[in-house]
Amino acid sequence: MSQEKKSVAFDTRKEVDFVIIGSGASGGILAKELSTAGFDVVVLEQGPYRTAGDFSHDEMKVNILHEMTNHPGWSDPQTFRHDASEKATVRNSGPPPALYARGVGGSSVHFTANYWRLHPVDFKERSMLGSIKGTGFADWPISYEELEPYYSRVDWEIGVSGAPGPFDPPRSRPYPVPPLPLKSSGALLEKGAKELGLHPQAAPMAILSQPHNNRPSCMHCGFCMGYGCEANAKSSTLATMIPLAEATGRCEIRPLSTVYRIETDDAGRVTEVAYIDAQGAQQAQKAKAVIVAANGGETPRLLLMSDSARFPNGLANHSGLVGKYLMANAHSRTEAVFDQPLNEYKSVQVTRIIHDFYENDPARGFYGGGGIDARPFVQGAPVMFSLNGLPPDAPRWGKAHKDLLRHNYTRRMSVLGSCTSLAQESNNITLDPELKDTAGRPAMRITYSDHADDLAMAGFLQDRAVEILQAAGANTVWREPVTRTDVLAHLLGTCRMGSDPATSVVDPFHRSHDVPNLFICDGSSLVTSGRGQPTMTIQALAFRASEHIAGFARRGEI
Amino acid sequence: MNKQKTNRRSFLYETGKLAGGGWLAINTPILLAAGHAAEEQRKAGGNWVNMTPGEALAFAAVVDQIIPPDDMPGASDAGVVYFIDNVLGGFMAAAGGTLKQGLADLDTAAITAFPGSGGFANLEFDQQTELLQPIDETPFFSTMIYLTHCGMFALPSWGGNKDRAGWTLLGFDNRHAWQPPFGYYDALAGAGKDF
Repeated sequence: MSQEKKSVAFDTRKEVDFVIIGSGASGGILAKELSTAGFDVVVLEQGPYRTAGDFSHDEMKVNILHEMTNHPGWSDPQTFRHDASEKATVRNSGPPPALYARGVGGSSVHFTANYWRLHPVDFKERSMLGSIKGTGFADWPISYEELEPYYSRVDWEIGVSGAPGPFDPPRSRPYPVPPLPLKSSGALLEKGAKELGLHPQAAPMAILSQPHNNRPSCMHCGFCMGYGCEANAKSSTLATMIPLAEATGRCEIRPLSTVYRIETDDAGRVTEVAYIDAQGAQQAQKAKAVIVAANGGETPRLLLMSDSARFPNGLANHSGLVGKYLMANAHSRTEAVFDQPLNEYKSVQVTRIIHDFYENDPARGFYGGGGIDARPFVQGAPVMFSLNGLPPDAPRWGKAHKDLLRHNYTRRMSVLGSCTSLAQESNNITLDPELKDTAGRPAMRITYSDHADDLAMAGFLQDRAVEILQAAGANTVWREPVTRTDVLAHLLGTCRMGSDPATSVVDPFHRSHDVPNLFICDGSSLVTSGRGQPTMTIQALAFRASEHIAGFARRGEI
Repeated sequence: MNKQKTNRRSFLYETGKLAGGGWLAINTPILLAAGHAAEEQRKAGGNWVNMTPGEALAFAAVVDQIIPPDDMPGASDAGVVYFIDNVLGGFMAAAGGTLKQGLADLDTAAITAFPGSGGFANLEFDQQTELLQPIDETPFFSTMIYLTHCGMFALPSWGGNKDRAGWTLLGFDNRHAWQPPFGYYDALAGAGKDF
């Protein structure tokens, strides 16, 4: 971006208008909107301030050593269990169970950039279908129509490439730039889908196909999923919102600042945010209001850590719902090898999607809806392919193994099914009762089992994926087993929005029902999960919340 | 506040033992101290830092069993042993004992099965295969599979993938810019042809 950064450093002992905790998909938007509206803003970000020049194609750093997702200063383990009868444990292999990026821009830096809007049905499905036993299935307090203008702001201000599809909800503005160029995985998905009478469409992606807002278009280098963009073509808040926020001279981004507590006074109002700074020292920033945008895992963890005599169950938790109703979106993955080279290691992950199965269909016999896309997945990168890209019956070593590596790498692709997660109280974020991180904070404990309907829907999408790949002429097709997930890349629903303080954590404007100068706006606000790509909605909510919060502040209503 | 670079203090934690799958996850930001040094060392045919010359020969034999040489380089020709030497001084330091004990066990097995051979590295290729087959689910061999693939296909600055031999094997090219068409099928689709 061409905006000049105007350095500003606020005194921690002097109240700023807003402290925003987290600089990611929502925090970056809130920072930009509130600072350009004239407010003084401090953004506390636990990760480092990397920029495009710090990113690379280094699989060892990113995929093996988890450079983007580790805490930069210390060990911050998470524990996981499928249900409350189990003891949650730390895995010593693979990615963390609550998978998100730490750094300025948050997970919008390393995400794949699929930008699906929710449909009108997502906001009112509970009313349409009725309750689902054992779940917290509920309507949103707002409608698609109310959120639509903010989806369009995401399209234009964040930067989304795409073209209208046959199942898309109404939009008030066209996409700012056309879809990214077709890849072979997209061409094959399209062919197979059309053979089956389905309606493939161009994938909406937050990666620029053409220059827009002073940013360049994608160079198709191929390292998107899990990686930071070296060209600033991926529309992270790091590339889009943060520079605009800093150009105001009213927004200070404090990286390497890990929050451990939000303090309140006797009146039950938030007064300051305590954090550990880049040098390891304890600090506290005073603020008139605080916005928690730390993601659907860290936000409830922090609120639960901020308990006090007045808020014994955690801050903003009168409802008891902080941390509950965690939703991750269920997934299935189907693999295929074709006869000719696809070269999926080039360009963005996804160029074609299928939304024919978006709506619930009672004929399926279970609740759910979802979408299908074609992509290289993480196996587009050589190391990940070599470790986890061959069929399950392939030899793991030796001459035949080498021959398969040589033959399959350029000829393979994945088809992903992404779908609904039902809100269940038993799926949640809590504080681990025993384990602490190196800084002494209770570890995040994740308890999660996909609902049977979620797994059934993921399996249904996999059945369709197999049909599509076969219709496209695949030489070999195999299914990755659909099982209960233990890695959650989407962290949704844990401080849900609603009008009733008894059944929700924040009101329809993201203000805590319990604490008038505390706002919560990130994936935790979602009432339902959507069909699998939540960031677009998190960001539309952030634009909308910013407008309301700025209004409250101007009118002295905070 | 000015941009702050990543805190590069290294925290070495002994987090857990090798899992059966061969993944050693260390949830700390251990960055390679000097990635390019490994590549330079390999080019210079330099000394081993974290293994003996004898262990290096045995590692070479094992990694060549995993990705054998044919008309294209095998893992040892691609510098995978240099990669292993490098990461045994870094994020895989905790695995050094398991790996070296595994090599010692292979030497014992070799001498038992083929008296007079003097050790695993001296065996014929097919004899080595025979000794590895019964142990290919062990933590030792799973870790070797893991490291061999990391070394073969990671950026050459990590010490392996010499002359991009791993990438050439796969057909991968590490460029920063591509233009469509990317592959066979999108090229045909773009030309309006069926496939």
